Amino acid sequence: MVRLRVFISRLLGFFRKRRLEEHLDAELRAHLQSLTEENLRRGMTPEEARYAARREFGGLEQTKESYREQRGLPLVETLLQDGRYGMRVLGKTPGFTAVAILTLAIGIGANTAIFSVVHSVLLQPFPYPHADRLALVWSIYGHEGRAPASGPELTSLRERSRLFEELGGIWAQSGALTGEGEPEQVGLGLVTANFLPLLSSKPQLGRFFLPGEQGSGAARVLILSDGLWRRRFGADPHLIGRSVRLNAESFTVVGVMPRGFRIIFPEGSSVPPDMDVYLPFPTNLASDPRDQAYIRVLGRLRKGVTIEQAQAEAEEIAAQLRSEFTDFSEPGLGLRVVPLQGDVVRKLRPALLALFAGVGFVLLIACVNVANLLLSRASHRQREITLRTAMGAPRGRLIRQLLTESVLLSCMGGAAAVLVGWYALEGLLTLRPQEMERLGTIGLDPAAFGFTSAVSVIAGILFGLAPALGLTRVNLVESLKQGGRSIATSQQHSRNLLVVSEVALGFVLLLGAGLMIQTFVGLLRVDPGFAPHHVLTFHLSVASVKYRTPESAIHFFRELRKNLAALPGVESVGVISHLPFDDSLPNWYGSYWPEGAPKQEQNTIMADHRSVLPGYFESVGATFLAGRNFDEFDVAENRGIVIIDDSVAEKAWPKTNAVGKKLNIENGNFVRDTVEVVGVVKHLQSHTLTDQVRGQVYLLYPRAVRQHMALTIKSTAAPETLLPFIRREVTQLDKDLPVYNVQPMEAYVEKARRETRFTAMLAGVLATIALVLAGTGIYGVAWYSVLQRTKEIGVRIALGARPRDIFGMVMRQGMLPVVSGLFLGLILSWSLTPLLAGLLFRVHPTDPMTWLASGAFLGGLGCLACYLPARRAVRVDPLVTIHYE
Amino acid sequence: MAPPRGEVLQGTLDLIVLKALDALGPLHGYGIAQRIQQISEDLLKLNQGTLYPALLRLEQRGWISSKWGVSDNNRKAKYYSLTRSGRKQLASEAQSWERMAAVMARLLAGAEGA
Repeated sequence: MVRLRVFISRLLGFFRKRRLEEHLDAELRAHLQSLTEENLRRGMTPEEARYAARREFGGLEQTKESYREQRGLPLVETLLQDGRYGMRVLGKTPGFTAVAILTLAIGIGANTAIFSVVHSVLLQPFPYPHADRLALVWSIYGHEGRAPASGPELTSLRERSRLFEELGGIWAQSGALTGEGEPEQVGLGLVTANFLPLLSSKPQLGRFFLPGEQGSGAARVLILSDGLWRRRFGADPHLIGRSVRLNAESFTVVGVMPRGFRIIFPEGSSVPPDMDVYLPFPTNLASDPRDQAYIRVLGRLRKGVTIEQAQAEAEEIAAQLRSEFTDFSEPGLGLRVVPLQGDVVRKLRPALLALFAGVGFVLLIACVNVANLLLSRASHRQREITLRTAMGAPRGRLIRQLLTESVLLSCMGGAAAVLVGWYALEGLLTLRPQEMERLGTIGLDPAAFGFTSAVSVIAGILFGLAPALGLTRVNLVESLKQGGRSIATSQQHSRNLLVVSEVALGFVLLLGAGLMIQTFVGLLRVDPGFAPHHVLTFHLSVASVKYRTPESAIHFFRELRKNLAALPGVESVGVISHLPFDDSLPNWYGSYWPEGAPKQEQNTIMADHRSVLPGYFESVGATFLAGRNFDEFDVAENRGIVIIDDSVAEKAWPKTNAVGKKLNIENGNFVRDTVEVVGVVKHLQSHTLTDQVRGQVYLLYPRAVRQHMALTIKSTAAPETLLPFIRREVTQLDKDLPVYNVQPMEAYVEKARRETRFTAMLAGVLATIALVLAGTGIYGVAWYSVLQRTKEIGVRIALGARPRDIFGMVMRQGMLPVVSGLFLGLILSWSLTPLLAGLLFRVHPTDPMTWLASGAFLGGLGCLACYLPARRAVRVDPLVTIHYE
Repeated sequence: MAPPRGEVLQGTLDLIVLKALDALGPLHGYGIAQRIQQISEDLLKLNQGTLYPALLRLEQRGWISSKWGVSDNNRKAKYYSLTRSGRKQLASEAQSWERMAAVMARLLAGAEGA
């Protein structure tokens, strides 16, 4: 209580300084006058009386000073005083101040930008209610660790789990919206009734699905995204209850999702973030076939339940299912519970953390450079500090004042850094990989500002402390005698130490960047198994009632293929159910086995299921390793044949020719069939450029009719020029069919490289900044030491030292800290680079060439930085230097 | 180099000021100084200026309050008076001081006897 009262009174005192000062003056004057009058009464002369009064009262100024200290906030007042003084000092050396602020702005700004990304990607919870309790449940079959669940599997999970509050599922599809306006292809999310409430507290309009609406197929209801509602329905507030036409059937709108709602699922989960329409699952999930796994399962854990507990429970349930159901899929079934956010960012996290560490290093190097600048300036201030010490300024007070100056400097740097960070972030966002795009907006938020301010203050203390300590460790007598030169040697030591740390940090960054860039180059060299150049792709969906019979869909695509192939400039036209690197549709895959394989071997070969028409392999430039391609006769006669890739061939029939062998496959309707292998193609990279995730099995379209298909058009000309003609051909066959998702095939490959490109480019930029800073740092130190020793060098030359000796001496002394720094960097990297291993491809963290090149480059830079000062030293004129003193 | 007169002990000045205000009612700074000199019969040496930071400290703690008035010789002066909590503080400090004094007295007497 008393303490608070004192504080408030001091605070008031701080702000009402002037008036209180007048009061104090009046009060003290009155006191002195009274004393003087008393003395006069005692018979002193006026002169004596005043003098005695002063004596009795004691030091007037001391009284006032201690009164003021008691009255206001002395800490704040000295801080302001130091700040004002600091500003004056900085203003007197504008060149130094500008260089320091610029260096800091780059160092801190890079941190601001990366922190913004780290904060919004890794730290900020997803925009869902109880986001920290959301978890995905993946199924495991053999090597397949992230498989979807079947309807009965989800049903069993929901019935048996005690630790999940809710468990729902989604399956992404696409459909055509018709009716008023142009036909439009939209993303469809088939969901369980409880799925949307897991991710959103309430819809913007209307309601979520009712439990009864799921499964029966009777309730023709849907929920729209905010985007579609605005785009197509003009944000009509009375849309609820009205009907819209989807895939040529009528549905009633029951709700509109909130603005900005996105489904953030991991990459490769085949659940795209921006879906336009949600429908309840039309089938009764519990009675689905057990071998149709297509549902991506999301659940909310009960309060206080950990992922480990949920995982243990899931394993128990998986064990029960394995023993209860002996049919096809369950024997190998496992379940895996992972936190939603952790799963989404699992690939980004290591890259972002590595980059975060990288910018941290850059900031350290920037701090070292500024500390260096401060040290150089320090010798000019040595006189001032010595004088102030001589006049009784306590060391702590001087250190505080010097630190105030450096923090002031770094705060100005920090302010400029916000600008740098903003631009850097803009740049980052144009480069950002796909997974980051899923997460939505990233910007400079209050957290980023807070971080920047904190970093600025810490940086200021960091780079200010060494010079401040050095500067105030004054031996008064020596210093006054020598006019400030005695400190030169001790400062040279600190400077050399700074160079050592700069070079060490620079080496780590350079090495990291080198490894990342080699990874990226490695990715560029990867042969994806196809030639994306001059291939245009687009999607078509024949989901409407017009194509209810398989024959009509087959007929449509065959006709279209024929018409498109006849266009001038078109070399070949392919039709396929799923393009490589396309994540907009669910990836269809399953298990395959050679005819006659025993039951326990029937789920060991997992492969992507692809439905094609002849022409696909030519259009994408796939390589046939054995056998033949499909042709039109195969389609016409609907032959039971299949083309597989080398990875399936190798697993099914190791070391023997697969052509002519029989393979058990799944056709388009989840029905098993046995077909003959007629050809083997080289694997087409389809999910990542670096791994063969699964093999591929290509079926003839008539055997596996699908509604959503992609077309690949290989042309001699730039493929974009063909687009109007393509649209015309499609419209001629069906005027209601939208051509969508038009992209050159190269764009898909480009997307697959984006994550590595992002990391490699950033690492490159960071290393470049580090090199520039380290180079100027080394140069500055060597140059300064030559400057300090001009007289000594002059004397040496006068005494007969040859230019070679002088040159060698400066180089040796300049390079010593560089070489020590390289060694330190070597040790540091040895312990740090293993952390990069997960990000690298086709290059080992200890790749000797990269290490050697980084060391040589940095060493060369050091030589160059020392060479110029050494040249200067050689040219020293002994006469001039001796006159100089 | 022993001081001819006793310096005011750290912390006792507060008690002295509170006691003076308690005994005489509202006083200005000069009055308090006079009172201290008078009571101590000039045995205590007080730099009168040091009184003012002490007065401010007591006021900040809410033990005394001040207001401007006119002194006997028609001069504007700041008058300090004891507050209710100041009176309480005085009582408790006086008590602990007396206890301390008693202990010291016993201690010194014992030392003499040995």
